[in-house]
Amino acid sequence: MNTLNSKRRWMPYLWLLPSIVLMAIFVVFPIAIVFKLSFSEISKSGIVGGFIGFKNFKDAIGLPAFKTVMVNTFWWVLSVVGLSTVIGFALAMVLNQKFHGRKIARAIVVFPWATSLVIQASVWNYIIKFEYGNLNNVLLNLGIIKQAINWRSSYTIEFIWECWVGIFVTIPFVTFCVLSGLQSIDASLYEAATVDGAGFWDKTWKITVPLVKPSLTVSTVLNIIYVFNSFPIIYTMTKGAPANKTDTLITYLYMLNFYDRKKGPATALSVIGFVILCICAGIYMVTVMRKEEEE
Amino acid sequence: MKKILAIALALCMVLSLGAAAFADDDITLDVIICQYGPNTQEWFLGKGMNGTNFVDKFEAENPGIKLNLEVVSWNDVYTVVDTRIAAGQAPDILNIDVFANYANEGLLEPVSQWCPEELYNDFFPSFIDQSVIDGTVWAVPDLASARALFYNVDMFEEVGIEVPTTWAELEDASQAIIDFYDGEVYPWGIDMTTDEGQAAFAYYTWGNGGGFVDADGNWAVNSPENVEAIEYAIGLINKGYTNPSPATQTRYDLQDMFAAGKLAMVIAPNQLPTYVADKGGSINLATANIPANEGKSSSSVGVMDRVMAFKDESAPDQAKRDEAIGKFAEFFYNPENYVGWVSMEGFLPAVNSAVGALVEADPSFGAWLDVLGGCQFYPTAKAEWDQVKQGVIAAEQNALTGASVQAELDALQAALVG
Repeated sequence: MNTLNSKRRWMPYLWLLPSIVLMAIFVVFPIAIVFKLSFSEISKSGIVGGFIGFKNFKDAIGLPAFKTVMVNTFWWVLSVVGLSTVIGFALAMVLNQKFHGRKIARAIVVFPWATSLVIQASVWNYIIKFEYGNLNNVLLNLGIIKQAINWRSSYTIEFIWECWVGIFVTIPFVTFCVLSGLQSIDASLYEAATVDGAGFWDKTWKITVPLVKPSLTVSTVLNIIYVFNSFPIIYTMTKGAPANKTDTLITYLYMLNFYDRKKGPATALSVIGFVILCICAGIYMVTVMRKEEEE
Repeated sequence: MKKILAIALALCMVLSLGAAAFADDDITLDVIICQYGPNTQEWFLGKGMNGTNFVDKFEAENPGIKLNLEVVSWNDVYTVVDTRIAAGQAPDILNIDVFANYANEGLLEPVSQWCPEELYNDFFPSFIDQSVIDGTVWAVPDLASARALFYNVDMFEEVGIEVPTTWAELEDASQAIIDFYDGEVYPWGIDMTTDEGQAAFAYYTWGNGGGFVDADGNWAVNSPENVEAIEYAIGLINKGYTNPSPATQTRYDLQDMFAAGKLAMVIAPNQLPTYVADKGGSINLATANIPANEGKSSSSVGVMDRVMAFKDESAPDQAKRDEAIGKFAEFFYNPENYVGWVSMEGFLPAVNSAVGALVEADPSFGAWLDVLGGCQFYPTAKAEWDQVKQGVIAAEQNALTGASVQAELDALQAALVG
C-alpha cells in the first residue's frame, strides 16, 4: 500500500519530465540567454563581450525608428486582435446556425488557417499589385473602375493592408474557438429565453456572450501573443519599408540584428517585447479571472 | 528486445568513435558556399559537374583532405555564419560578399597565409584591392558581375527616341515614353528597397561625380553632388517616370516588369538576358552606359563576392590546415573547374586564367569584361559599410515620403564621423 502511494506521488512528475526537459531546453534556456545577452556587449559578428548594464536598452530606445515602431506595433495588435475577434465571433454565430452546406462553409473558413502565412501574404501581394494585380483586373473587367488603382500609394495604406491580411488570417482561429464554445451551450436556454420574450440581441448579450467568454478569453490571450510576435506578413509584404515606417517590433528587431547588425539593441528590444507581452497577457488574465470569481 | 537494441546502439557509438580515431590524420575543412542559383547545389554536392560534384572530385584529387561543404541561401547565410561564430564554430572557408567585420574582429586569416603565390598573382589586382584593410589582404574575389543599363529596343524604335546618355535626356525620353504609351509603360526602373537601395545610391551619385567616399577614401555621403543626385532620382519618381513603389519593388520585380514589357529601361547585372529568357520573355534588349549628369562621366557598378578563411586556434597543425585551404583554393580556381562554375551561373570571372576559355565559349563575355575593368565597387572594406548601406537606404526611403535629402544625408554623415 505504502509503495503504491509513493508511486502515485512521483509518477505524474515522471510523465511530465520529458515535456519539462524540452520546455527547459527550448523555451526557458533561450529566454534566459536573451536576457543575459541584452546586458552584454555584442560585436557585429555576434561575439559576446562583457556586462555593459543598460547600454543596449538605452541605445534601443534612442533609435530614430523606435517610436514609430512601437506605435505601429500597438495599432497592429489592436486592429488585428480586435477586428478579427468581432468578425470571427459574428462568423461563428452564423456557422452555428443549421443550414444547408454548413460543413462546406466551415471547411472554407478554415482554409486561410491551413495555409502558411508567407504564402497568404505573397498571394495578397499579388492581389493588390498595381501592374497586374487580380483586384485591379477584376474591378476593371467588371467595369467598376475605369483605370487601375495603385492600392499601395502610401506607407499608411500599405500598413492598413498588412493589418487586413493579419485580420484575414486570424479570423478562422477566433471563429473556431468561439464555435466550440457555442456548441457547448444548451439549446434549452435559448428556448426558455424565447418563451420569456427575449429578442435576438437579448439572447446574444445575456446568454451567448457570457457563456462563450471562457473560449473568447483563451482566443484573445493567445491572439495577442501570436499577433504581437507575427513576423511573416509584414516581412513578406513590405519588409518594414519605407524606412521602418511599416515595421512592428518583431520585424524591426530582426532587421536591426541581421541587416543593421546592431545586435545589442536588437536583443534589448526582444526583451522589451517579451516584458510587454507578459504584462498584456497578465493584465488580461487577471481581470478576466477576477470577474469570473466575482460571478 | 530493448536491451539488445541498447547494446547495439552503444556498440555503434563506440565503433564510430574508433572510426574517427583511425581517420585522425585526415583534415576536414568546413566550407560554406552561397547559393547563386538553382545549379549551385548540384555543382557542389549533386551531379552537376559532369556527372560528379565538386566535393567528390576534390577529395579524390586531394587524399587526406575532407570537405564538409554546405550550400546556404543568400537569405540565410548571414544568420548561419553569425550563429556559428557566436558558438565558436566558424567555418574554415566562407564564400560571402562582406568581410570587413570579420577581419576587424580578428576572425580571419590573412590571404598571404593560405593562398599559393601563383594563384594570388592570377586575380585581377583591382579586385584584390577591394579586400584590403590596413595593408593586409583578407579575402579573394570568387566571381563578379557588372551592372549596365538595359533597354527595350523595340519600344525605343516605336517611340522614335535615342537611348539617353545624360540625366536631361533621360527625362526627355521618359516623357516621350509616357506620352506614347499613355502611361501603360514605366520608362525607368528604380529600386530603393532594403534589398538593394544602396545600388540606386551608387548609380546616381557616381554619375554625378559623388559617391560614398571622397578622393581620400573618407566617408562623404552628404557631398553636394550626392544631394543633387538623390534629389534628381526622387524627382524622377515624383514626376511619374518610374515604377510606382520604389521602396518595396526590388530589382527582381523590375526585371519581371522589364521581361513583361511593362518597363522600358532598367539597370541590371549582366545576367539579365538569361533571366528574361527564363521568365519566358522575348524582349529585344540591348545595353548602354548608365546615364550620368551633363559633363560627368558614367561609371558602371561592379559587385563582387569573396572567399575567405577563418582562424581556428584549435587546429592541431596550423601549417597543414593552411596548406589544405590553399589546395581548396587552387582546385576552386583551376580553369578546368572554375570556368564551368562561373559560366553556369552567368557571372564574370575573378582570375586571368579563366578569361580565354570564357570568351571563346561566349564572345559577349568580352564586352562585359571591358565593363568590369572600368567598374567602381562599394567601399565594403570600410568598417562602417553596414551602417552606410542601411543609412543611405533609409535616407532614400525617407526622402520618398517627403523628407529633405540634405537633412537625411547630413544626419548620416554626422553619425559616421561624430
